[in-house]
Amino acid sequence: MAKKVKEAKGIRINETRSDKVFNAVNLIFWIVVLFITLYPLWLIIIASVSDPDAVLAGKVVWWPKDFSTMGYEAVFEYRELWLSYANSVFYTVVGSVLSVFITLAAAYALSRAFSGKKLVNLLITFTMFFSGGLIPIFLNAKSLGLYNTRTVMIIMNAVSVWNLMVARTYIQSSIPNELYEAAVMDGANHFTYFFKCVLPLSGTIIAVLSVYYGVARWNDYFTGLVFLSNRAYLPLQTILREILASLSISGSSETFFAAYADNLGGLQEAMRKAEVAKYCCIVVSTVPAVVLYIFMQKYFVKGVMIGSLKG
Amino acid sequence: MSQAQKTDLRNQPLGVRFQKAIGRDWQLWVLMLPALAFFLVFCYFPMYGIQIAFKDYKAAFGILDSEWVGLEHFQTFFSSYYCGRMFANTLLLNVYGLLFGFPLPILLAIMLNQLGLERFKGFTQTAIYVPHFISTVVLAGMIYLFFSPENGIINHLIEALGGQSIYFMIEASWFRPLFVGSDLWQNAGWNTILYIATLTSIDPQLYEAATIDGATRFKKILHIDIPHLIPISVMMLILNCGSLLSSNTDKALLLQTSGNIATSDIIGVYVYNVGLGKAQYSYTSAIGLCLNVINFTIIMCVNAISRKLSEISLF
Repeated sequence: MAKKVKEAKGIRINETRSDKVFNAVNLIFWIVVLFITLYPLWLIIIASVSDPDAVLAGKVVWWPKDFSTMGYEAVFEYRELWLSYANSVFYTVVGSVLSVFITLAAAYALSRAFSGKKLVNLLITFTMFFSGGLIPIFLNAKSLGLYNTRTVMIIMNAVSVWNLMVARTYIQSSIPNELYEAAVMDGANHFTYFFKCVLPLSGTIIAVLSVYYGVARWNDYFTGLVFLSNRAYLPLQTILREILASLSISGSSETFFAAYADNLGGLQEAMRKAEVAKYCCIVVSTVPAVVLYIFMQKYFVKGVMIGSLKG
Repeated sequence: MSQAQKTDLRNQPLGVRFQKAIGRDWQLWVLMLPALAFFLVFCYFPMYGIQIAFKDYKAAFGILDSEWVGLEHFQTFFSSYYCGRMFANTLLLNVYGLLFGFPLPILLAIMLNQLGLERFKGFTQTAIYVPHFISTVVLAGMIYLFFSPENGIINHLIEALGGQSIYFMIEASWFRPLFVGSDLWQNAGWNTILYIATLTSIDPQLYEAATIDGATRFKKILHIDIPHLIPISVMMLILNCGSLLSSNTDKALLLQTSGNIATSDIIGVYVYNVGLGKAQYSYTSAIGLCLNVINFTIIMCVNAISRKLSEISLF
């Protein structure tokens, strides 16, 4: 689109002065926005590989200062963190595969005509605007025997209405109905058509749903906080909360890291490392989600746009 | 299914129609079954549990056999000292969030659409989505680190400029700016996605015609972009109005300290703390129910008003 506009301009008129001013202002605007967006992330990365004293004194601003991997070494010592990391990987992978499959199957069914479709749509949409509330949801899970199990981390939030809508719109708008008619002619039923035609043609939306569900699960700390009590089951984010964002001002990260003082060469040293280790924790926990996004990015923007346009 | 067969079905008794419909569609129902089971068990079962808001729930008796107490919990809540403050805090936090969080993505989408340099535009679009993929815990952790009174970069900057370091996390007046500001940082870029999709679907001929007529970029935005964005913007606004009292409990829970409680004490956090922390299930269910009913009412009203005024609505 932008190209066509340019061609039109090429034939006729050069940009007017007000357009030039506009473009310059726009460029400056975006440089500022990009700085605000990216600088905090950059700061986390450089602080994670700097010496704790330099970080605490505020000397780490543009580049790493007194390069050190001390923080990462400290982070690798925390068994509980890596245990929760493994838990999170498990919940995310198993949970997302399940979510994507359930969502796609339902999305396909909802993209076809059948009796009772209106009612099903209504019942599903209603859950978007009205819920039982935290306590009834908690009691419900408890009465189903899901409290403090690994299952609850996988089943809770398994299907998102929004994702279901996006997937349905995608299937409706990108897989031609003629294909269905042709498949039926050849003797296909809904199962064979779904598995042999719809799934293979849904690469883009599978990528989009995987990112949506995967990142939501990876980043969720609240489910673990509410439904788990056994520390061995806790996901990464719930453990991170204790390190990074404790409710008490005294900063529980120091107490948390002090528990490992023996491994870290004394309490004093542990406290010092704790400061940089926080930055390292952020890097280690955030990299999977961001990398997943950047890899999937191509499908992603396209898929979201197709899915959301008519939704 | 051909039209003739469908009308055939319509003339038959309900039982037969039902049987035929199932016979024809059963495979679709099987495909939907897992999702439907999920919604039934995890969305509709809890709605049945809402009745404990009107009961004195005791775990030993279960939901059904606990004693009815009518509106007692609602009265306790509405007459409690903190009730007004919590409603005000929740509402204000969301109103500020909406005030800044609603227009900014639209502005960003329009400005991004005007960027001519394709490479730079692509990079920018990728970059502004990145913060969305950071978890709430990490975001809160970043706030604690950057705004720390002794070691945070913000306070280092303030001191370098000759100011006094500010105790951001324990001053009640800073809770809302931090909450809303970090929300903008994290989601304003991401929320442009719908608007950008809308802008890219505008017919390029419109822009060409405008160029020929001598429209400046600013005029094109005013007369082409904005009118095209209005329907989707109104829909997003209606959706946002539906959560005016719900707010982001997990984030507020992380940013609440004993210092900023005067502004950070919002209903969702209170329900979590008192409900799960002190096991006052019935009382907090009642509060949760109030919230849900109010939110639901708001979204229905806004939707109805919008349908009347602009013929744009969610349903």
